[in-house]
Amino acid sequence: MELDLFVRYGPALLSGFGVTILCWIVGSLGGLVLGFALACLYRFGPRPLRWLIQAYVEVIRGTPFMIQLFILYFGGPHFGLLLTPVQAGIASFIIYGSPYFAEIFRSGFNAIPKGQIEAARCVGLSEGRILFRIILPQMLVPTTAPLTNFFIILTKETAILSVVTVPELLYETQTMASETFTFVEPFLVLSLFYWLMVIGTSWLGDKVERRVTRHLRRA
Amino acid sequence: MGDITTEQPIIEIRNLSKHFDDFEALRDITLDVHRSEVLCLIGPSGSGKSTLLRCINFLEAYDGGEVRLEGELIGWKSAGAPPRKPLSGEALRRQRQHIGMVFQQFNLWPHLTALENVAEALIHVKGLPKAEAMTKARAALAKVNLSDKEANFPANLSGGQQQRVAIARAIAMEPSVMLFDEPTSALDPELVGEVLGVMKQMAAEGMTMVVVTHEMGFAAHVADRVAFLEGGRLVTCAPPADIFGREPDDPRVNAFLKTYRERNVV
Ligand SMILES: Nc1ncnc2c1ncn2[C@@H]1O[C@H](COP(=O)(O)OP(=O)(O)OP(=O)(O)O)[C@@H](O)[C@H]1O
Ligand SMILES: [Mg+2]
Repeated sequence: MELDLFVRYGPALLSGFGVTILCWIVGSLGGLVLGFALACLYRFGPRPLRWLIQAYVEVIRGTPFMIQLFILYFGGPHFGLLLTPVQAGIASFIIYGSPYFAEIFRSGFNAIPKGQIEAARCVGLSEGRILFRIILPQMLVPTTAPLTNFFIILTKETAILSVVTVPELLYETQTMASETFTFVEPFLVLSLFYWLMVIGTSWLGDKVERRVTRHLRRA
Repeated sequence: MGDITTEQPIIEIRNLSKHFDDFEALRDITLDVHRSEVLCLIGPSGSGKSTLLRCINFLEAYDGGEVRLEGELIGWKSAGAPPRKPLSGEALRRQRQHIGMVFQQFNLWPHLTALENVAEALIHVKGLPKAEAMTKARAALAKVNLSDKEANFPANLSGGQQQRVAIARAIAMEPSVMLFDEPTSALDPELVGEVLGVMKQMAAEGMTMVVVTHEMGFAAHVADRVAFLEGGRLVTCAPPADIFGREPDDPRVNAFLKTYRERNVV
């Protein structure tokens, strides 16, 4: 291995890593929030809205991420939607992840006994307070593991953003590889970066799970 | 309760009816509950006891008749024939603050400690400052003899203790009336006494209570009146002496109580 290679390309790789992290965090947190909103609307909204959400879930889950990204980035301008590569990347990431998050949350709703919600209504708690204070914390018990899992899957989906020239990790790695005719080194670094993200995510998932299940442990 | 006839009842139920689709769960119920009165609801399974209780705080939207709390119509914007408009969420929440409810399954929030369970509505419904809410919540827990368990999660409380926390959660709101739906039916026999003890004490302190129960001993000794339901109808409502006497007026009451008499409960 030639160390000066990393001295030369280090800044670019790090910047690529930064862009990857940015797209991943903003995109998947956005997807999480949108997914939660969809799950709530599905549960509490009127029937036609439920059909609409169901259709959205089927369509987004039924198409590859790359196609969604192409449609948004290359098709967007036809509808007056001009996005930079990073904007398009983050927006499509949010859209792509939301139905999976929605499905995870939808199953989580069923984990809360109806009686607890009735008890909350009896003392006069508002529906919003019930959602965020009574339902959501308990919903995290069965959903933290699948949520963590999906965050981990999404770390690697960020690589697809390189096809619309988002200067993320894979993009920078490929640039380095083609300019220096090296392959092993850049892709080792690439793997290391993804691995760091995965390790970090599962560590955090573990912590969250421990926190949200603390009331279940017997003293 | 000498002035029972002159004072306005706390709860007035007039010609109440409730359907689940085509099934008539309650039919033409008329019943009053007076201040500081303990009214027990008894009757066979499926007779509509829970439904009647749940209509009082509008957990079930009744479809005919009226339920009034201190004169105010519960749940609907106006009296009169259906269809009528339900109250706004906020107006309904305001009414519900005055009606405490205790369930068979306790329904504590398991991710909150005993103290947090009791304080939640004090802070977020009554809007009390946190310190004041905590003081009130602790006082309510002391009333049910659970001061030493305030930091426990429900998973680390016995059934009887959980039910007492549920009672504390309700009384902390200082309701005008308390509803109990079979509060001891999910408890091991040796834990029933501690919950009934707390309820007796509340009755002695003048709390107005409507209690659905299969504890005939409690109904016989603590209730001021006992209402017997069957098939969604109010068969009779009378002082316990008349209900549990050797020869109740109504043969249906007699038939229902027969099994209890055989077990020497009353
Ligand atoms: N949500 C509902 N949908 C349909 N039917 C219902 C519903 N709730 C109650 N019922 C029916 O209404 C009738 C009265 O039910 P309710 O729960 O009030 O009886 P109960 O007297 O409390 O009985 P138990 O002693 O078993 O608790 C029953 O036949 C029951 O099946
Ligand atoms: Mg019942």
